[in-house]
Parts: sequence; C-alpha cells; structure tokens
Amino acid sequence: MNGLSTFLGKEVAEFLRTWRVWVLVGIVVVMAVSSPVMARLTPLLLSSLETSGITITVPDPTWRDSYLQWAGNLGELVLFALIVMLGGVVAGELKSGTALLVLTKPLTRPAFLLAKFLANAGFVIAATVIGAVVTWVGTLWLFGEAPVRPLVASTAAWLVWAVCFIAVMVLVSSLVAQPLAGAGLGFGVYVLVSLVGVWGPARRWSPLGLLNGPTSLATGEPVALTWPIVTTVLLTAALLATAVVTFRRREL
Amino acid sequence: MADAAISIRGLTKHYGSTVALDGVDLDVPTGSVFGFLGPNGAGKTTTLRVLLGLTTASSGEVSVLGGRASSIDVRRRLGYLPDVPEFYPWMTGREVLRLSGRLFDLDASVLDARIEALLDLAGLTGVKQKVGGYSRGMRQRLGIAQALVNGPDLLLLDEPTSALDPIGRKDVLDMVAGLRGRATVFFSTHILADVERVCDQVAILDHGRVLEHAPLDDLKARHSRAHLALEVTGDATAFTEALRAQPWTGSVRPDVSGGLRVDLVDADAARLLAPRLVVDFGVGLVRFEIAEASLEDVFLALVLPTAPITSGRAVA
Repeated sequence: MNGLSTFLGKEVAEFLRTWRVWVLVGIVVVMAVSSPVMARLTPLLLSSLETSGITITVPDPTWRDSYLQWAGNLGELVLFALIVMLGGVVAGELKSGTALLVLTKPLTRPAFLLAKFLANAGFVIAATVIGAVVTWVGTLWLFGEAPVRPLVASTAAWLVWAVCFIAVMVLVSSLVAQPLAGAGLGFGVYVLVSLVGVWGPARRWSPLGLLNGPTSLATGEPVALTWPIVTTVLLTAALLATAVVTFRRREL
Repeated sequence: MADAAISIRGLTKHYGSTVALDGVDLDVPTGSVFGFLGPNGAGKTTTLRVLLGLTTASSGEVSVLGGRASSIDVRRRLGYLPDVPEFYPWMTGREVLRLSGRLFDLDASVLDARIEALLDLAGLTGVKQKVGGYSRGMRQRLGIAQALVNGPDLLLLDEPTSALDPIGRKDVLDMVAGLRGRATVFFSTHILADVERVCDQVAILDHGRVLEHAPLDDLKARHSRAHLALEVTGDATAFTEALRAQPWTGSVRPDVSGGLRVDLVDADAARLLAPRLVVDFGVGLVRFEIAEASLEDVFLALVLPTAPITSGRAVA
C-alpha cells in the first residue's frame, strides 16, 4: 500500500510532538491513579455522611473495587476523550488542507486512512498499557493485593472495543467536513450502542458484549467473550473497508 | 495531440445545478510553460482538481502524462502547488520536504541533496522555526519547493505568485522560465504580467469554457488592434463625435483614466490626421499615444467585451 509506512511515521511524529500525547496519556494516567485512590476513599467518604445522621454500611474496599473503577473509567471517560480527539482524525486534515499536500503525491487514500487507524490504535494501546501498570502499582500499594490476570483480561477486552471504536471514528470522520461533526457522529454511535447494549442476547453474540464485559472481568468474574471479541474484530475490519470505499469516492 | 502533457476533451463538471466546467477542450504541449488565465470562478481550480484526481469529472476525457489523472504512476511525475498551500504546522520546512520526498520513495542521499537545493531556492536555508509560524510568502515558497522535490515532468501551479513580494515573484518566475523544455509547467493565474513574462502558451477560461487557446504571440497578433489613447481638455463632445466620423477610427469609448480609447482601422492615418483634428477643434492635448493591445487588453476583450480598456504598450 503506497506511502503507508512513511505516512504512519508522520502520524507517530505528530502524536509525539503535539498536544495529543499529553492529552491521551494524561487522561489515561489520571484515571489510572484515581482508580485505586477512589476505591480506597469511597468508604471513608460515605462514612463521613454518618455525621448527618445517616448510617451506611460499606464493606472494606479490595483490589476488585480498584479494578472496577479502572474498567469503568476506560469505558466512559477515556472513550469520550477518544471520540473528541478523533472527530477530526480525517476531517481535520481535509478542512485544513494538509491532506492535499500528501494525497496529490503517491500516497493512496486507503494508506492515508489505514495509517491513521494503525497509529491511533497503537497510541491507545500504549497509553492503556501504561495506565494498567499504574493501576496495578496503585492497587498493590493501597490494598496489598493486586492479581494480574483480572486486570489484563479486563484491559485487553476494553482495548478490543476501543480499537473498534477508533475504526468507527475513522469512518465517520472521513464522511464529514468538520471535526466537530465527526465527534458528534461518534457520540451518536456511542449512545446508540449503549442503548442497544441493554438487550441481553445482543450482548452475548455481538460486539455489545464488550460494553460491560471488561467490568465483569475486572472483578475476576468469568465472562464468555469469545463471540463478542470475534464479531468486534470482524466489525472493525468491515468499518475500515467501508471507510476506504467511501473515502476513495469522496471529492477532496 | 500526440505530444501533449495534458489533454482534455469535452470536460464538464457540475455541482448540483451549478456548471463549473462546460465542455473544456485543452492540449498542453510537453515542455511548454502554459498560462491558464481566467477571472475568479472561471473554473481554473476545478480544472486543476480534475487533473489531480481530487475530483471526478461529470463527463469528458482527461489524460495527464499519457495516463489517468489519479494513478500513482502519473502522480510520481507530478508536482503540485495549491493556491493556499497548507502544511503540518509542527514541522519545519526541512521536515515538510523530507516527508514529501519520502512519499515519492526518493533515495535518501538524493533527497538530502535535493532538500538543501530546494531550501536554498526557497530562501529558507537556516530557517529553524516551525511552518506554523511562517508568513504567507514563506509558505508559498515552501509550497513551490515541495512541488519540485521529485523533479516533476509536469508542474501544476495554482496562483503561484499571488502571495509573493516583487523579489519573490521574480525568483519564482525565473525558476518557472528555467524549467522550459525540461518540464511542462501549467499554471493558473490572474496576474497577466506573469503570463506575458514566462508563458509560451495561453488558454483563457471564463464561465467554465475555454475562450481562447493558442501560443501567446499568436493570440496577441490575432487580437491585437492598434488603438489611440487620447486625452484632451476643453469641450470634448464635438471632438469625440468628429473622431467617430473618421474613416480611420473604429469604436471610440472612454477609458479608465478619463481619456478616450479609439480603436484604429488605420494607425498610419491616425498618426497624421488625429493631431490635425485636435487643432481644428481647438481642444488642449494632454495625452496622445498609439499603442498595440497587451495581453490584458486581449483578456478583458474576451472576458468582458464592454470593459473600459486599462492598458496598452506604446509603439508610437
């Protein structure tokens, strides 16, 4: 695919030399640090309400609560940050005119899209791995126990979902003219997916199973995610193929 | 045309009900410096976008360097400067050229040498700041440099000198002229002086149609008609009527400087008889100049047939 490696190099350099690295890694690390801390402090905060005459009985927090916080933060805050960041992943370059600089050279449109997908998937995986390590260290420090397997399983399952959502953002951003419109469409997809995800059978057999799967895995609860993972991988490929076909036809 | 770098037949482009290009036919000879003239909205940029494969034609045929406009093989031989070149603002000029060269798979040593030469050509050697902090002129010069990074056979330039100061403009035009015979240069512009200075072929586009398409000298010869630029004091009404009645004059109309533009049927007769007419009518003579049509006159006559005439080159 002509120009893929060169343009991928440009994407990596751009991520490392602009605000994006600080925003993505910053958000993930803040979430990672706050997860065990919030798990530890939540019972204390609730018990402080007893001075108001309310009696709340809360079990002692464990590593499960810390991992649950981490998985919940990934599924909401980090995904929202991705949607905002990636709304202009393609539309931003089209709007600014920088896409013309490279797409009038021997860089194919599929390579342009694929480089953006691969680069952003790589950044998200790297940032999430760093965040997971920070969560593990924080959990071990505050709770004295931090099993690796639930954290790895939960984080990996979320990453499969996140990579699929990056493909969603590449597709929607390649369809619109404004980065804000791309982010808006991304939020729309997220809301729609969350609503449909309430339906149990859909969660069992489709990518929607990855909406809540990571939180269950985080507590060590066994969850059958084979079908959701397989269908998510297939959906990711289908989204990218659709993006390539539509972007090839698009007037620039 | 067998040796055409660009060949366009019956090209149309519609945006909804708007017709941007309406049956454009064009041949750009290989090795020529081709001026693509037209007022704003004439369809120049749309034509360039079709040539680059950025937009598809509604109908018609386009051949660029003997191939499809959007093919990778053709793009390897193209250089392009957009009207407003935009770059990644976090890069330096050197990095922009390196990225551009790598997209053409240039050998590292060739690219290094070419980057130095092009930075020198663009007057950007030693400039360390990021492109985001560049002035419009610096961006334009960097845009030209990146368009040349692959040593293109065909250079497509969209308004290449519009943002440059006189020195930068001269440098760019000298560079374009220097490519004559080695590469085909196709540039759109509304700066007629630039076309007169470096182009050997011209096409004039208006409302999506090619009005004229010819070697520059042929075009001027065909449309050239000597005219008299005349400015007098006193009662010019009767004098103007008398001018109109002369067998050696064509149309007589006001020009933008407040004088008269008199198209001449017989310039020699005008040289002898016009001064006599001035004396006979007792008007004061401020300006008397017989000139041949410039490209600007030709352009305005084609695009805006009723426009007052703005210029002319004195020959008498």
